[in-house]
Amino acid sequence: MTGPANLIFYALAALTVGSAVLVAVLPNIVYAAVALLFSFAGVAGLYVFLSADFLAATQVLVYVGGILILILFAVFLSNRISDVKISNPARFQWQAALLCLALFGVLSTTAVRTVFPLKHGLTYQPTTAEIGELLMTRYLLPFEAASVLLLAALIGAALLSRPDGKGKGSADMEEPK
Amino acid sequence: MTPIAIDASAMMQGLYCILPEILIVATALFVLFVDLILPEENRRILCGVSIIGVALSLFTVFAMGPGKISGFSGAVVHDGLGAFFEIVILSACALTLLMATGYSEWEGTHKGEFYSLLLLSTSGMMFMAKGTDLMTIFLGLETLSIPIYVLVGFHRHRMSSVEGALKYFLLGAFASGFLLYGIALMYAATGTTKIAQMVPMLYDARLAASPVFLAGVGLLLVGFAFKVSLVPFHMWTPDAYEGAPTVVTAFMSAAVKAAAFAALIRVLLLTLGGLQPVLWKVLWVLSVLTMTVGNLSALVQNNVKRMLAYSSIAHAGYILVGMVSGDVLGGQASLFYLLVYAFMNIGAFGVVMLIAQKEDEGYDIDNLAGIGFKYPALAGLLTLFLVSLGGIPPTAGFVGKFYLFSAAIKHGYIWLAVIGVLNSAASIYYYLRIVVYMYFLPAKGEVPVPRPPRIAFSLALCASASVVLVLGIVPSSVLEFAERSVLSLLM
Repeated sequence: MTGPANLIFYALAALTVGSAVLVAVLPNIVYAAVALLFSFAGVAGLYVFLSADFLAATQVLVYVGGILILILFAVFLSNRISDVKISNPARFQWQAALLCLALFGVLSTTAVRTVFPLKHGLTYQPTTAEIGELLMTRYLLPFEAASVLLLAALIGAALLSRPDGKGKGSADMEEPK
Repeated sequence: MTPIAIDASAMMQGLYCILPEILIVATALFVLFVDLILPEENRRILCGVSIIGVALSLFTVFAMGPGKISGFSGAVVHDGLGAFFEIVILSACALTLLMATGYSEWEGTHKGEFYSLLLLSTSGMMFMAKGTDLMTIFLGLETLSIPIYVLVGFHRHRMSSVEGALKYFLLGAFASGFLLYGIALMYAATGTTKIAQMVPMLYDARLAASPVFLAGVGLLLVGFAFKVSLVPFHMWTPDAYEGAPTVVTAFMSAAVKAAAFAALIRVLLLTLGGLQPVLWKVLWVLSVLTMTVGNLSALVQNNVKRMLAYSSIAHAGYILVGMVSGDVLGGQASLFYLLVYAFMNIGAFGVVMLIAQKEDEGYDIDNLAGIGFKYPALAGLLTLFLVSLGGIPPTAGFVGKFYLFSAAIKHGYIWLAVIGVLNSAASIYYYLRIVVYMYFLPAKGEVPVPRPPRIAFSLALCASASVVLVLGIVPSSVLEFAERSVLSLLM
């Protein structure tokens, strides 16, 4: 890998890691959310770079389009969170830094010291059809188990966010005037 | 790309392999639907329906026997180990449901969602116990965890419940992240997520020593350690156990632990052949830390629920002792102990639940003073369960600990056994402290009146007590079953 490809890779990596650092550091949660957007987009770029077309599209749809928008909605709809002090406080900085450095040390030595087998002369092909077929055959069980998982999450979310039903009805919803 | 053929007979075999899980998920859905049409006052039926579903599923497990059936191109397998843990998990679920009949009425958890979440969580545990693909194990773990997060926070008006749920959720999400990262690294090193395909590769010393693989195994261990609350990954346990509705606490301490240990035993026993020289040291340290910190923290607790939470941490340490040696003997001891532990712990929580009037304050140890001679049946049962937790004969807890520590000694881990026995002796102090409170201390003011148990509740307590006693006197058949289960894994 040489020339422009290399350059693009490093630009994408810098975008991803740089924005991720900003997410952790920025005191205002809205800024942090926007930085997260760039981080997600950088990861999608890395997937494109690896020729994982399906993953890249999913990354954009689910993370950028879904999760990030949800985070922003949650921030804008909850009224007191815009106060910087409660929205994104940082405590136990030294302990956290030590722990993170230790983890970083382990992971980076792992990445550096491993000899990854390289395959040369691969031709990249679209993956979506193959993934679809595998999901319906070899990975049918995990696929279906994931649907049970989603069902449980839905029931749980409905249960926790719904007001207590006894006689009050929808007491927390105001009548439109 | 050639299409992958999947024929009808393979499909049927796969479905047959996961029949107990299908029954549980179907019951969960059925409960949801019945909840819609049922009038408010007949909610007790939901509990009955759930119990019938669990009983059916348990019957299917027995009917299928310990023969090996694998399905879905090796994603799950029904073997001895899977069957053993399904029996443990389903029994724990059945006991929890029997207790929930009464508890739900007192504390207002009679809701369709409560039962269907409990059942969905159970199905996740069963998938985890049977999963032979790391992906299935991960999905099982998530299906187990998410309903439990919700159930811990079921009492939305109680601060402690919400606090416990939030802590458990945040740390649990981290743990899942670690686990998934570990699986990804293991996949990077071996090119497969199937445990069976990974095992032969591990005899290659280059792979077993490669940093990616070791980092992967390490992260996987961290993820599991969070779930079974090994020290130093146990921070969430006391708060989550204290805040959760007590039936859920009983369920968590028995079934969640059993499921996570099932997957851990499957992964460790199979991979230990290649990794034993590195792994046993890690497990040794984790086990000693967990036992010691758990027991020492339990010594100073005045809230019975919190004390039992720390005691459950300590018990995870004992169970790990059996896995340090990593062969049939240790595995068998761990399996047996997990089964016994489920019954005695649920039993202890059940009695405490009856005596405590209210969540939070009701679980103070002072509340137990003077109970002993006024309510001899309850006090006797609680004493039995505590004696078993402490590991005193003739209870099943003693037999379980005996086999765990003798497995350690047989493999030359003398110090591990010594530390385990010392810990066990220290734990007797806080278990007997409760007994002393019940029998020898006068009550301050009125002796609290325990709730009159329903028939189902009494049934659950009697069943737990008889299992604890019977396995304490004639453990051989269950021990053999545990041994066959471990052997079926290694075949």
